[in-house]
Amino acid sequence: MAVNYDPALINKVFEITEPVEVKAEKIQRYCAALGETNPIYTDEEAAKKGPYGGIVAPPSFAVTFRNGRHFFENVPRFGMRGFDAGKDVEFVAPIRPGDNVTLSSHVKEIYEKTGRTGMMVFVVIRSTLKNQNDEVLAHIDHRFMNRP
Amino acid sequence: MNSFEEINIGDTLGPLELFVSKDQCRAYARTMGMGEGAGRFTDDEAARKEGLPGMIIPGNMSLGLLSKLVTDWIGSSNAWLTRMSTTYRVPVQPDHTVTIHGFITNKNPEDRTAEIDVWMENEESERLVTGTATVEFRK
Amino acid sequence: MSTILDLHTHSEASEDSRAPVEAYLNWIKLRQAERPIDGIVLTEHRQFNRDADYRHLEDKFGTLVLRASEVETTYGHMLVFGVNDDMVARFDFADVRLDAQILIDEVARMGGIVVPCHPGRPNIGLYEHYQSRPPLQNVVAVEALNGGSRKGEDERSAELIAKHGFAATGGSDSHLVSLIGLCATKFSAYIKTIDDLVRELKTGNYEPVDFRPRRKTVPHAVAMETR
Repeated sequence: MAVNYDPALINKVFEITEPVEVKAEKIQRYCAALGETNPIYTDEEAAKKGPYGGIVAPPSFAVTFRNGRHFFENVPRFGMRGFDAGKDVEFVAPIRPGDNVTLSSHVKEIYEKTGRTGMMVFVVIRSTLKNQNDEVLAHIDHRFMNRP
Repeated sequence: MNSFEEINIGDTLGPLELFVSKDQCRAYARTMGMGEGAGRFTDDEAARKEGLPGMIIPGNMSLGLLSKLVTDWIGSSNAWLTRMSTTYRVPVQPDHTVTIHGFITNKNPEDRTAEIDVWMENEESERLVTGTATVEFRK
Repeated sequence: MSTILDLHTHSEASEDSRAPVEAYLNWIKLRQAERPIDGIVLTEHRQFNRDADYRHLEDKFGTLVLRASEVETTYGHMLVFGVNDDMVARFDFADVRLDAQILIDEVARMGGIVVPCHPGRPNIGLYEHYQSRPPLQNVVAVEALNGGSRKGEDERSAELIAKHGFAATGGSDSHLVSLIGLCATKFSAYIKTIDDLVRELKTGNYEPVDFRPRRKTVPHAVAMETR
């Protein structure tokens, strides 16, 4: 017996999200929230001399671009409660202030498993982040866990 | 950080002890626009209604903290965190001290990458979040 | 001549691990002084890959690599040792609701052995199921020590083992390279093949061994002041 779902869900492609502009100030607040002090993320002068020639966002900033309605409304749900179970992120290129970032996503996998908290249905969504020049910034596998 | 040639399998990153307060957790959630429906990250009562022991730290924040162990190690040298995979095993509660560990477990001279185990554990040495990072050393 | 094996490990073939088998064996070599294990048994989640071949790595590192499976049943997760074509044909390893009693009996009939793992873990361990349902028949051994246990879980396993007189194994349940071999099983016999392992598991002549570093003292438990 396996989890019941419409097979058409697999590889279902979501509408691409509206571009989100990366504001320098948002990167600063992200750094502050994580206690980030590396000057290549926080200090324009120091960052100019660094490997990226200017401020970039910490790599993990890439996972924060999923807030758009187009994303969450499309994630298939099983049961009442959804939790973030894990991520697999490939950081392709640095995200810079002024970038306009879009997210294209599709359903990669749906499977069942049992754990400490009971029966769970896992939904894996694969997203690709691109900037305004159509350059890939990151690939992200979001693993969502659904509980009854 | 040392160069690719100087690092060895078995080398450690950290450990880094961190006390993450409830306010820091709320600040992260707010910064990331996790407003509605995210009570579990900002409010003990809302979290308990979901069967959680109290407020929890967002998975993305844990991923950010594990990544930070690696990027702090990289510093401003010419290496790039190319991949980070995380598993959220146990909810992470704020107002506790967590310890973040890292171990270099593999080196691939062909593409000049290193694989690093990372995890966050609580005061009871229970592993809450585990992960694997890949760092590419550029010439 | 004894043999120490980590009976519960996951590699990159499991969906929640990125650990290459070669990196595991290299780590074992590196940490031989702290974790003196002779081999590992790969117990990938809900699958058995008949074609996986690790002989070149066994030769390179001189460490035994055997293959088993971790499946999900009506009484929690269980390790299946001695998987053969008959078992693969009989059971859908991906089914997360396998009937535990049928699995135990059929695997035994087909020449293998089922060992319930992390029995003290909520929901997916034997202990909790035994609180509300009849005990299973023909269980020989359960996993006493699991490297991924939370506080109290190994203690509940010990209670169950004492009550039912099971033989006891240990395994790291590692999903990360650096966690391999933290818990293992010490056999009094020399084990070189999966048939040796299945035979020995049925005898009960083994004990769990714990190579975990001592848990650090919880800060508030230390009231002493040093001057």
